[in-house]
Amino acid sequence: MSKKLWSLKFNTATLVLIPAAIGINYLGKLFASLLKLPLWLDAIGTCLAAVLGGPIIGAVCGAVNNIIYGLTLDPISTVYALTNIGIGIVVGILAYKGFMKNLKGAILTGIIVGIVAVIISTPLNIYYWGGTTGNVWGDALYAWAVSQNMPMWLASGLDELVVDVPDKLAVVILVFIIQKSLPKNLLNLFHNNEEVESLD
Amino acid sequence: MARIVIEHLKYKYPGTNKLALDDISFTIEPGEFIGIIGRNESGKSSLCQAIAGLIPNFYKGAYGGKIFIDDMEVKKVGVEELCETVGIVFQNPFNQVTGSKLTVYEEISFGLENMGIPREEMIKHIDDAMELLDISKYRDRYPFDLSGGQMQRMAIASIIAMKPEVILLDEPTSQLDPQGREEVFQAVQKLSKQGITIIMVEHNMEKIAAYSDRIVLLEDGKLIDIDTPQKIFSRDDLDEYGVEAPVYTQICRELGLKDRSSGYYPITLEEAKRILSGDRKGEM
Amino acid sequence: MKSISLYVDKGSWLNKMAPESKIIYIITAITVPALLGIRWAGMGFIVLSIILLLSGKVLKKTLPLLGVSGFVLVTVLIIQGLFWAGNITPLFRIGPAVFYKEGLNFALGILVNVINILLSFCVLILTTKPSDMIENFVRKGFSPRFGYVFISVFQIIPQMTETMNTITDAQRSRGMETEGKLWVRIKAFIPLISPVIMSSLINTKERALALEVRGFNSKNKKTFLNEQVKTSADIYIQIALLLGIAAALIWRITVWLG
Repeated sequence: MSKKLWSLKFNTATLVLIPAAIGINYLGKLFASLLKLPLWLDAIGTCLAAVLGGPIIGAVCGAVNNIIYGLTLDPISTVYALTNIGIGIVVGILAYKGFMKNLKGAILTGIIVGIVAVIISTPLNIYYWGGTTGNVWGDALYAWAVSQNMPMWLASGLDELVVDVPDKLAVVILVFIIQKSLPKNLLNLFHNNEEVESLD
Repeated sequence: MARIVIEHLKYKYPGTNKLALDDISFTIEPGEFIGIIGRNESGKSSLCQAIAGLIPNFYKGAYGGKIFIDDMEVKKVGVEELCETVGIVFQNPFNQVTGSKLTVYEEISFGLENMGIPREEMIKHIDDAMELLDISKYRDRYPFDLSGGQMQRMAIASIIAMKPEVILLDEPTSQLDPQGREEVFQAVQKLSKQGITIIMVEHNMEKIAAYSDRIVLLEDGKLIDIDTPQKIFSRDDLDEYGVEAPVYTQICRELGLKDRSSGYYPITLEEAKRILSGDRKGEM
Repeated sequence: MKSISLYVDKGSWLNKMAPESKIIYIITAITVPALLGIRWAGMGFIVLSIILLLSGKVLKKTLPLLGVSGFVLVTVLIIQGLFWAGNITPLFRIGPAVFYKEGLNFALGILVNVINILLSFCVLILTTKPSDMIENFVRKGFSPRFGYVFISVFQIIPQMTETMNTITDAQRSRGMETEGKLWVRIKAFIPLISPVIMSSLINTKERALALEVRGFNSKNKKTFLNEQVKTSADIYIQIALLLGIAAALIWRITVWLG
């Protein structure tokens, strides 16, 4: 089974899932800014793809997502592909381990994913932006922490944490709800390497 | 040309317990126009997808029996190889657009590029297909900006350009407006004159009766009958299969007017007219 | 057709240049200043990118891209100028806020780096059609199936924007609240987005079927409808850029060893 989890052979349905997931990411981001929500909600598709197709597909979604942003609207976001790859892998593994079967597991997944995102993003924030994120709440916390003589990595980590953990929690819970209401015959399509049974 | 032989075909979708196709056997001769009818969920789409090899190679699941296209066994050759001989057009025109090309012209090239057709030949195939489906004037349009009927004709052209010997049409008009439907029907009529085998699932019984050489009647995954439209639509038990005969057949049935030479009810307006005028002559 | 790409065809030499050359330029512009560790190197590449963009007649087009990062850059200047840990020397004050030399200097380093990355990317993305770029990679051996994934993302995003407009118009006319308290807005999010998510997932099946029957997984060698355009200068430019990176790398290593 673990071989299947890390399989690099993608069937067509799984490949087509990638652009759909990236479209969903984008839509989440659009609606979040339309409703002026204090969250990004731009990883719904990546997490869904990871739940449906496994960690590799999740990682590919995360990578392609940011490369495309980088090539169109926001070059700097390319480096944050690393964060989204991490998110995809972690959600994929946790879903495979059965964490996404109930709400409690989903909440736990959301928190873990949030922390993983913080761990990957913070060094990038420090290198490229001197530690801030551009999010008002997070940056206010950063300014406070620095003025309290906390080291930059801690201030920057906190800055990212207050944004990322609630964001990923909301995303994963939403993914949990959607995944529960998907028709079963659709879920079967994304399982790679199944064999045809014989009726003869 | 391709002869299709279906032998004891059985199929179950993954995660289900019911046979979607249950012991179906029949043969289709090259160049035939076959209509497939039956109520919803009777197995029409599954049968089409089985002939195109999508069942079982795309869906997986449980499969029994054999389908041969000439000497190719469908289950054993992949869809990627079979699609050079058997093309299929689906219901929803929007979802058949690849979403990777910027013009109608390029969209039609998608399959040909994948097949590895040399460029000069490709251009010829595309031009022919656009001509046949009457979409040359939309050549440089963005595929998603077309109307439903135009988009569906583009989908058919995309398949035709791959020069298949068999083309399956799975309710190609069901999601179109009346104008779009008429456009697609005219395109299908043109295709059948080209001599390729056509297999079509369609709810419009008047059209399917007029076009088909033979009709396949399905119920609950089983083959009930395969015969000429006259014989199929003259059956007394069509109600049981959720099928309504063409309106001309229904009228003539009520009037008790059969074709004297064949002993069946007429299925098209022309046949009905001929019989009606013949009857009148007889009375005179 | 609407597009998320900011590419414009000005018929310039940059439009004609191979995408690989421009990608290698981006890599050079980012790695060389990082290896040298000198701010002037970054500034040098900024000037070079501006000259390239000017000669490609697309300098004005960089503004929307700079705008995306501009806001964040301003907050960086403010926060680091006020709060950076190494702040000692006050430079100027605005009301009660004292800006320090060290913090602003640190922020300037960030500014140079970010703007350098932005402008070097602009050299590529403002002058290259995305689908051409990916097709070019597929010709060079990149998986056609993944090439498809990339190209289709470029089309799916404008479609999603259109879908969003349709939905919000419909929901607004039904009296959905997009204003008001945070909780009201959060509650509005789920019914807005979930139908689109469901339908786009369900559509993946039909799209996948449609691709398969058009030889998506064909084992034949792929051919192309569009002919490839090549310029002879590309190879020299690529070699020069790679030599530049190598030189910077050697310099870095000798500094370490020395």
